Amino acid sequence: MPTTPNAQNPSDDAGTPDTGTTGPAGGGTSLLTRKADKVDRLAELMGPRDNGTGGAGIWRTAFRRLRRSPMAISGAAIVAVFVLIALFAPLIAPYSATAQTWGGEVFPNQNIFVGPRAENWLGLDNLGRDQFSRMVIGARQTLLVGVVATLVGFGVGALIGGTAGAAATLGGRWGRTLDNAIMRVIDMMLALPTLLLAVTVAALIGASLTTVMLAVGIAQVPIFARLLRGAMIAQGNRDYVLAARALGVRTHRIALTHILPNSLGPVIVQSTLTLATAIIDAAALSYLGLGNPDPSFPEWGTMLADAQRFLSSAPQLAVYPALGIIVTALGFTLLGEAMREALDPKLRK
Amino acid sequence: MLRFIVRRTLQLIPTLGGLSILLFIWLQRLPGGPEYALLPDDATDAQRAQLRRSLGLDEPLTVQYVRFLRNILQGDLGTSLQTGRPVMEEFFTRFPATFELSVTAMLIAVAVGIPLGYLAARRRGGILDFSAVGGSLIGICTPVFFLAFILKVVFAERLGLFPSAFRLSPGLSRTDLSGFVILDGLRTGELDVVWDALMHLALPGLALASIPLAVIVRMTRASVLEVLDEDYVRTANAKGLHRRTVRGRHVLRNAMLPVVTAIGLLTGSLFAGAVLTESVFAFPGVGSFVYAATQTRDYPVLTGFILLIATMYVLINLLVDISYSLLDPRVRAQ
Repeated sequence: MPTTPNAQNPSDDAGTPDTGTTGPAGGGTSLLTRKADKVDRLAELMGPRDNGTGGAGIWRTAFRRLRRSPMAISGAAIVAVFVLIALFAPLIAPYSATAQTWGGEVFPNQNIFVGPRAENWLGLDNLGRDQFSRMVIGARQTLLVGVVATLVGFGVGALIGGTAGAAATLGGRWGRTLDNAIMRVIDMMLALPTLLLAVTVAALIGASLTTVMLAVGIAQVPIFARLLRGAMIAQGNRDYVLAARALGVRTHRIALTHILPNSLGPVIVQSTLTLATAIIDAAALSYLGLGNPDPSFPEWGTMLADAQRFLSSAPQLAVYPALGIIVTALGFTLLGEAMREALDPKLRK
Repeated sequence: MLRFIVRRTLQLIPTLGGLSILLFIWLQRLPGGPEYALLPDDATDAQRAQLRRSLGLDEPLTVQYVRFLRNILQGDLGTSLQTGRPVMEEFFTRFPATFELSVTAMLIAVAVGIPLGYLAARRRGGILDFSAVGGSLIGICTPVFFLAFILKVVFAERLGLFPSAFRLSPGLSRTDLSGFVILDGLRTGELDVVWDALMHLALPGLALASIPLAVIVRMTRASVLEVLDEDYVRTANAKGLHRRTVRGRHVLRNAMLPVVTAIGLLTGSLFAGAVLTESVFAFPGVGSFVYAATQTRDYPVLTGFILLIATMYVLINLLVDISYSLLDPRVRAQ
């Protein structure tokens, strides 16, 4: 993932003022029609040019460190398996996740449950549905919740934080005032625990899957906003920004093609970590009754919340989705933490 | 110093003011508005209009906002839809329980987390380090309410080691002085009450401690690792200072700064976590009351809770800032 901004990085990293001709906005001139050419172009940008500009770039060395880190590899492996299951869920699931095919065999009020057996690998849920199929299809919903929530947090947060950061570094006195005003609001939002913020949003729009995604995403907005603003301000003092200004590059161009791409690193790392938080928070919201009200629609958070009722008699119903959530969240956390370590010079040893 | 504190305190006013505006807007935007939340579904339009008038909802927004703010400043957070009693009163009667629970959780987290994080850093790469880091990562990734349920089923229902619900065993007689069970018990010498209360606090306290514990372990570890690398630690060692002096005075003290900040900020999130934990253990605190409020859409309670937590959070931030400026003169100069 961190390789995307890398394409524009080498020249900036070396401190050469980039006048915009090779920046992402100038990509129109090299609009490639064929897929293969695109890949080649990317490889070219990432490859020898890095060495040509003297030493490996920060992304490249970070990636090399990542490949050696057992934390990153196990995290990436978990994430990869999870994403594959989610993508091919309908092909993997042996039965329907919603049909109560074995409804006649399960009687929750008499404490009769069906555990794992040859035809149902993880047994049946409280309504006689195949638990394995529900877990597989649920992975898809869970990934959807995590990704959409993160995108909401990332998108809105980056917009706010990017505006504040650009205003603070390039906007002069007026810009600093704007930055101050924006950050006051963001700090206010940061003052609330994310879960509470999510509950607030969820109470406002009513219980549904969309609610969970929006609520969890909005709760992440202040974190992303602060992060991107901080990174942009840190970049704003760098020499290449000064050089670009001296060359008379227009302000919005400096902000978008010079500072922004170089500030995205921490934000991307945070997105990985947010995916984990989003999945956990979504489960908590479901438990609070603010999640998807339709229990026939499998999603790990909802499944876990529903299964709490039978925890004493059929703990496995809660344990499967809980394990799914924990392992997946762990995967994203491991990957995110490893990325953060790889990018942070302080932690390089 | 005093100027710094005064300035920081004054800076709170716009923050809290802005928060009140956000909350006010939030209340305005609630689905259907309060006349739908307050009245039964089969109420007539005339009844709704009547209620709107009596609540002053037909007045201009600015007038409504000023009244909203005045009520808050007077400590009036409205009336709970569940119980019909003032929200403030409901919070106050339940606060001691949540306070005891949060303090228990924080004590567990600090007492276990700091030594564990410190030892993990000292033996970096060892088995202890690996399990501490791995354990805290798993802790962060485990939904609190699930952990609470597991603790309850295993240690209370299956093994019967701890009570599974409430704050005290039913039927236990005690002298109520302040609502703080443990404090009262210690003052009146009713040690059986103190013991009973502690047993009831153990499981929810442990569940609630999971996330702060995980965060503190990792913060301490990272911070100690950083300090161990500092030149002054090498100097102290080179001077031949006793190992214990170096570790205590040079390493731990300096490493604790970021951890103290984290502890302050975690306290705020404890109250949010209490909503999940208390509801699992039927613990009669603010959290389970708020949990019930989310189930019944008791908006005055939710608003009040958000306002209280936010205020607390902002105040804790202020305390952290002030304690930082006491410890580090550079902060004051800014």
